[in-house]
Amino acid sequence: MPSKAMIGRTLSTGSAAVDAAHVAAFARALGDEDPRYFDAERGVAPPTYPIAFMVQALAGGASVFEELGLDFVTLVHGEQEFEYARPIRVGETLTLTARIADVYEKQGSSGLMDFVVLETEGTDAAGKTVFLSRNTLISRRRA
Amino acid sequence: MIDARTVAVGLELPPLVKGPVTREQLRAYAAASGDPNPMHTDDEFAKAAGYPGVFAHGMLSMGWLGEFLVRAGGDPAAVRKLRTRFVKLTWPGETITCRGRVTKVTDAPDARLVECEVWTENQDGERKVAGAAVLALSRR
Repeated sequence: MPSKAMIGRTLSTGSAAVDAAHVAAFARALGDEDPRYFDAERGVAPPTYPIAFMVQALAGGASVFEELGLDFVTLVHGEQEFEYARPIRVGETLTLTARIADVYEKQGSSGLMDFVVLETEGTDAAGKTVFLSRNTLISRRRA
Repeated sequence: MIDARTVAVGLELPPLVKGPVTREQLRAYAAASGDPNPMHTDDEFAKAAGYPGVFAHGMLSMGWLGEFLVRAGGDPAAVRKLRTRFVKLTWPGETITCRGRVTKVTDAPDARLVECEVWTENQDGERKVAGAAVLALSRR
């Protein structure tokens, strides 16, 4: 299970190459036809696009949840927050750093719930912050 | 699109209607977002977990709110913050409307900052995803 001792720890680092075809597929899946998401030369990505590369780039799927001590079976995405310095540009490569911002527990109606707040920063080639993500993950503690 | 010169607290952002939500759409979003959770694509899996069937990814609703805010701000660069809480599940067949209201207007050196409460609701007015956003609008 997650523990307070994990707070502040850097979880992992990774990088994400922002591919034009992937951005277009993401926008299409949202039903968003804004032409700025379909421009391979000067395009940008929709605001929630970081979700499409964060988990994979940082740990490759389910293993990250295991490392956090969260039960993947009962895992729920409780809250999500993004702050943006600018839109993500097609063709750029972002460096990602994820840290554990907070760990706490709450008594829920169906038992004890574990909360982990994951903070991910995306920086560009110049080292400037492009976006910050705060992801609150919740899982039910097994008896 | 909101006019930076006349924006005021209480102003409603132009609503954006999405849906009805389909299973094909959930499969497309699962593939494009790289979400491996079968809860959104496999009815049998969802039923085994105690749900009536598959339901939409919370991040799909947040994506719609992103589109809604880009339209309101006129540019992807206008969206400075977006925070959502996933309150209730969104089901196939539901028609979702993204809505928002201005809660605060302040001036930064480079832009007018417009804080809003934002949410999605179904055809019966039931709120599904609720949160807040900040748009930065050029004063020119």
